[in-house]
Parts: sequence; structure tokens; C-alpha cells
Amino acid sequence: MAVRILTDSTCDIPLEQAKALGITIVPLIVFFGDEAFLDGIELDNASFYSKLQTSKVSPRTSQPPPAAFEEAYKRLINEGVDGILSVHVSSKLSGTYQSACSGWEALPDELKKIPIELVDSSIVSLGLGIPVMRAAKEAERGLSLPELKARLLDRLARMKIFFVLDTLEYLKRGGRIGGARALLGNILSVKPILSFKNGEIVPIEQPRTRSKAYARIAQLVGELGVVEEMAVIESDEEVGQQLAQSLKTVYQGEIPRYKLGAVLGAYAGPGTAGVMVITASKDS
Amino acid sequence: MQEQSPRTVRTQHLRRISVFDGQDLKRALLAGAAWLEEHREVINALNVFPVPDGDTGSNMTATMQAAIRGIAESNETSAGIIAAKLAHGALMGARGNSGVILSQTLRGLAQGLENKKTFAAADLAAALEEASRLAYRAVLKPVEGTILTVVRESAEAARVSADRGDDLVGLMQVVVTAARQSVASTPDLLPTLKQAGVVDSGGQGFCTILEGIWRYIRGEAVQLGAAPTLVPPAEAHVMKGRVSIEEEFGYEVVFLLRGEKLDVDSIRQTIIDMGGESTVVAGDEKMLKVHTHVPWPGKVLDYGVSLGSLLDINIENLQEQSLTYAAESEAEHAADQEEEVYDTSTLTPDLATLAVVSGAGFEKVFQGLRVSVIVPGGQTMNPSIEELLKAVNSVAAQKVIILPNNSNVILSARQVDNLADKEVYIVPTATMPQGIASLLACNYEADFATNCKTMTEAADNTQTAEITTAVRTVQIGGVHVREGDFIGLINGNLTIAGQTIEEVIRDMLQRMHIDRYEILTLYYGEDVTAQEAQETAKRIKAQYSHIEIEVVDGGQPYYAYILSAE
Repeated sequence: MAVRILTDSTCDIPLEQAKALGITIVPLIVFFGDEAFLDGIELDNASFYSKLQTSKVSPRTSQPPPAAFEEAYKRLINEGVDGILSVHVSSKLSGTYQSACSGWEALPDELKKIPIELVDSSIVSLGLGIPVMRAAKEAERGLSLPELKARLLDRLARMKIFFVLDTLEYLKRGGRIGGARALLGNILSVKPILSFKNGEIVPIEQPRTRSKAYARIAQLVGELGVVEEMAVIESDEEVGQQLAQSLKTVYQGEIPRYKLGAVLGAYAGPGTAGVMVITASKDS
Repeated sequence: MQEQSPRTVRTQHLRRISVFDGQDLKRALLAGAAWLEEHREVINALNVFPVPDGDTGSNMTATMQAAIRGIAESNETSAGIIAAKLAHGALMGARGNSGVILSQTLRGLAQGLENKKTFAAADLAAALEEASRLAYRAVLKPVEGTILTVVRESAEAARVSADRGDDLVGLMQVVVTAARQSVASTPDLLPTLKQAGVVDSGGQGFCTILEGIWRYIRGEAVQLGAAPTLVPPAEAHVMKGRVSIEEEFGYEVVFLLRGEKLDVDSIRQTIIDMGGESTVVAGDEKMLKVHTHVPWPGKVLDYGVSLGSLLDINIENLQEQSLTYAAESEAEHAADQEEEVYDTSTLTPDLATLAVVSGAGFEKVFQGLRVSVIVPGGQTMNPSIEELLKAVNSVAAQKVIILPNNSNVILSARQVDNLADKEVYIVPTATMPQGIASLLACNYEADFATNCKTMTEAADNTQTAEITTAVRTVQIGGVHVREGDFIGLINGNLTIAGQTIEEVIRDMLQRMHIDRYEILTLYYGEDVTAQEAQETAKRIKAQYSHIEIEVVDGGQPYYAYILSAE
């Protein structure tokens, strides 16, 4: 049996698609007050965003417990896999990677004989979701664990993310603001464009309007050079469609759109749209 | 030399003066400066534009006063050295476009007199030619009918006079006559002057200095050696509710600290415990910047040395310090705010931004956009080159982008580029909203060159409308303005005059095609209340329902409203 890919629910891969590709997703936990939900399983996107805007309490999130990873690894190993590639959200934003490491350590020694590679992707959402889906397809073709990991890391290194928020409010409340704290003092209303660098959120620019933000993101993407793959992530239909429309001016390929899951949605807030781009590798 | 000295000239028939030494030159220039100061208001009144902006008379007087400050008490007898000191003082103290051009003229004079202990008419003619050459070089697009023309025609007359063998007295007489004629004909060269019925103010200022010198040579009374009476920077009290000179004490200590595993928070606390006020400690565990005000600078430096090595140490006596910069009070200011204290480091470790800002509210907006340093000024108060230079040098970053935010400050900023050891780029913003748009476009992840480009583009794409009260009756570009009217400027151009603010705003928005924009920011001035501003916003919203309107307290003087559309 081949190598299998495991990730966490911040990857924003839709459940059916994950199932079809044989990807195991361990859910994070979303809390509204005392109510706890398994991300993507007990709380779908639509009900999450409506709750986000109506709930009196801000949502909190928590990494999956180590036991959830331990269980998932055990199940895969018992199914007879040759190895596991376990890819996770940036450790600077979440304890998920740490939890996965603890889950692996808790495995009985005889199960540890099956090789598991744990990867801190230093990124979020489809930023890890796209490379994970590619890895799953390559695993199906029989690639070895070291080869799969090398290719995954190469894609992660070529991954660029730009996203626009409606407000920095949710990011600030959630405490995961990273370098974007530089934008907090701004008195004027803006639609901030952010990116990721070294596993953390970094600010890019602060356009005053959405249309300018979309145009600017398209411009930034255009400056990246040849694109291998691109996808849009959206908290709601309208913003994703507008961003994708704007991106068509610089990219003729297909731009699939995905929903931003509850965990990231809790920090980004409604009205978030982003683009994930893998630039072409130098030798391709 | 003695019998030829102008001090002895008393007769109606002027005696010949063959040469001037340093002391003669000094007295002549003090006379020129005093005569200019006496006519400051007259020259201010020559402003064409009916808006309260940088007054030429005040700017040139301030520049000239800065020029003579270094020579007034000097006993130096070498003319070359006196001229060099004069030029240096002018360059550092130059304010506004006319001041910058004047400073370049004096620099040319100094270059022409370099290494000359004394000079004769031919030397002076050559020096004036050099002055003219440098004056033209100071501006990107020289315009005739301005001070440039007057300087050039004065130099041309000096050449003719020297070539035919005139002495210094004869030469100055010819030069002053030519300068007066040149000033008188400026309206023929510049239509806006003709329309307004005035001569060029900068040209008049230059001519006035020459007249003062001429009066001295003729032995007429000009207050000699009068102590400079202009209060140097009026900036000290501008930073309302913030640092003011009166509250300052002790020494300002700034240094970079390089070490290992530096603990920013604990270092900040230790310095505060030492009695440090306005303390800012920012950076990382390897390198951080310390800024504090303490009664005993040695203590803080000793503490720093105990932690690592110190770099770029700068200590200033606060009582002596005539400038206050926004960055210095960042910590105090942030603590006053209800919101949390933000990180105060520059945008990127290597890039700093400098903005010239007027109005307490605008200062807050610029600070919120993390401008590295604010130089107070704008409209009627143009900062000097020295103030800008000092601000550029006050930041740790080696690359600095300057946002002048006023067309009358752009030239001074360009001079800073020549003077600073750092890499300086000027985004030629003519209004504060342009500066804001520029800062918003500053890309935190991009390199210097890219930011220079995108920030300039962002400024160019910003529409600014300003509403103020006309300070004089004039007709410009088909707009009839009466003193006291409300007038509207779009991107700096006078567009509309009216009886009420409402009608001026309404007409301006129409001309700006505001219906094509998404967001309108309404900055209200110090004479407008928040409630009045909200009502104005409501009226605009009633007419343009699709547009989002943001009302911001700008606190700017003179301009009731400054609007920007995006």
C-alpha cells in the first residue's frame, strides 16, 4: 500500500474532495462561548459565518488534541500504509503541529516503525491545501515518502498568498495579527492586503476600497512571473468572485474557488478573499 | 583700504571703491538682510494666490536671517570665508521655494568668491554669474518672470558694468537699476502676475536685498548688525498637547544597542526606572534602538554598555533643542491613547518615511500610518532645509522617503537629498491627502526603488479638494475672487469662489465627477466643529447616496475642509 497524506482542517480542502483523494483531515475545534464544534464536521461554513456575525461572543479556536492525531495515525497504520506525510498549519499561528508531534510520540514503539514525516507548512489554508492535494495525487502514483516530502517542500517554497480583509478587527481580537499589527494605528478605513512570510502574517498595503484592493492583488500576482497553479479562497461568494474576476486580467488559466473554513474565518472575518499562487519552478 | 571703506562715504558724489574685504562684505549683507526684513510684509502682500500659503517675504527673510547669523559677530577679514559662512547658513535655513533659490544664489556668490580675501567689481560680476547659474539649477523647470529672471538680469548687468571698468559702487548702482527693471517687467513674462496686477514676490525680495546693499554703499542709514529678530522655528508650540519645549528637561539620549538576547521590555522598564521620560525601546534581541529623556545621560549609556555595544550615540540638550519631532514623543503619545501601545519601529528596518504635516488631526492620521518622523509645517509655515535634514538624520534607517505635502516645500526637500548622507527620495506630494495616499501604498515587503515608484503613482492618482477663505481680491483663470469669499481648489488649482462653504463644496464635487468615486474622505479643519462636519457629510450623502463618506478630524489651520476622493 502507498503513502497516505494527513493534514488538519485549516487546509480548507472540501471534505468530499479530501475523501476522493484519500486525504485524512484532523479537525480543529471552534468554540462559541461554551459550545464546541469540530471544524468542518459539526459546523459547516454557511452556519459558521452567520454565527460569526450574530453571536455576542467572539469565536475561539483550539488545536486538535494529540490524541486525535494519535488515533488518526493508528488507523492509517492499521490499514497498512507504507508511510504518512503529515502536513500542518504554520506553527507560529497554531499549536496544531505541536499537537501532531505529541500524537506521534504517543504511538506505541512498534507502530513507530512505519515512517511518518511531520511538516510545519509555515502557511495556512489552501497555501498548504494545494500542495497537499498534489501530494495525494502523487502518492497515488506510488511516489516514495522522501520524494513526496521533497516535492511538497518545493511547492511550499514557491507558494505566495495575498488576501484582503474587510477589517483588521477579527485578526486583532484573535491575537494572531503578526506583522499586521503595524496597520492597527490607522485611523482611516482601509481594506488591508496581507501576505505570509516565515509563517506569519505580514502587511502589504492598505487600499481604501475593495475594487482597488482586488486590482492591486492582481497586479502583485502579475509581478510573480509564470504561474503553475492558482486558487481563490473566499469567506463569501461575492468577494471571491470579484477577486477571481480581477485575477483574470493577469492569468488565463482556471481559477478554482474554495470556501475559507471556520478556524481561519474566525480570525479573518467576513468579507475575506485571498489568492494562493504556486509560481513555476525555475527548471520547468 | 581704510580710506576706501564704505564706512567713510559721506559725500553726495560717491567715491570710488575698488575692493571689498570680508568686513565690508559682511556689513553690506547685514544691510541687505535688514532692508529685506523691513519690507517683509510688503513682499508678503505680493502673493498672487488668494490662499493663505507660504509667504515669500517671510520665507526669504527667514532664509536671509539664517544666512547672516553665522557672520554677524565675525571679525573675519577674508571675503571668501565670509561668503562661505553666509552660504552655509542660508542653505541650512532656507524656507520655501523662494528661500531655496535665494540660498542657491548665495552659494553661487560664495563659489565665485572662493579663496579671495578681497574682491573687485570684475570678481563680483563673475560671482553673480555663478549665482545665476546655480539658481536656475535649483529648480527642475525654471520659469521666467520669477526671482530667477531677476537674478539672471542682475548678473548680466553686472557683467556689462564690470567689463566697461566700473568700480564696485558703479557696478552696484547698475545692478540695482537692472534688478528694479527686471522686477517691474515680471508681469510681462508671467500671465498670472499680470492678471493679479502684481510683480513677482521672489524677484522683489531679491531686489530688496540688493537695494539694502546699495543703500549701505551710498552711506544711507540701514540698521546695521541688528540682531536677527525673527523667532526661528515657530514649531516648538505646534505640537499641541504633546511635547513642548517648556516641558522638556535634561538630555535626549538616542543610541543603537547591539547585543545578544536583549530583552526589549525589561530594558525599557529599567530605563524608565532610571527616570527616563518619553522612553522608546524598539527592535529585536540582537539590535534595538533606545530613545529617552533623562537628567543624567551617563547613567543610561553605562547601562547600555553593560548589555552590549553602542552605536550612533546622539545626546542633545533639550533646553537648547529648538525642534521637536513626532517620533520623540511617540511613547508618551501612545500611552495617552485608550488603545494599546503600538510597536514604534520604522516601516521596514531599512526604510523610513518623513512627512511635513500641519494640524493635530492630520498628525494622528500620519502617525497611524506609521510615518517615521513628522516635521510640523505646511501652508503658511514652510520648514527650513535644516529642519528637514535634521529629521532625515534622526531616523536610524539609511533610506528615507520624504512627503513634502505642499508645493512650497518640495524644493527644500530636494535640497535635503543633496545634503544628506542617506539615500533620500522625494515623492512630490502637494497636499496632505496625496501624502496619505502615498503612505497607504507603501509596500512593506517591497524594496526601496519599487516603493518610490508605487508611492509616487499613488500620490498622482489622488484627487484633493481644499476649501479656504480668500485673503485677497483677485481674478485668476477666469475665477473672480473677493477677499473673504470661500474658495475651492482642486489639486492645488483655484477653481471656484462662492459666498458659502456649502455652495463651494457642491460645485467642487460636481467638477471632480465625484459620482465616479467610491470613497470620499472629509478632513475638517480647526475652525470647524465635528457636528458641522457631520452635517456637511450628510448633505453630500443626500446628493451622492452611493458614495461612502469618512469624516476625519484634520485640525488643519486656514482650510475649513480638505477632501480626497478615491
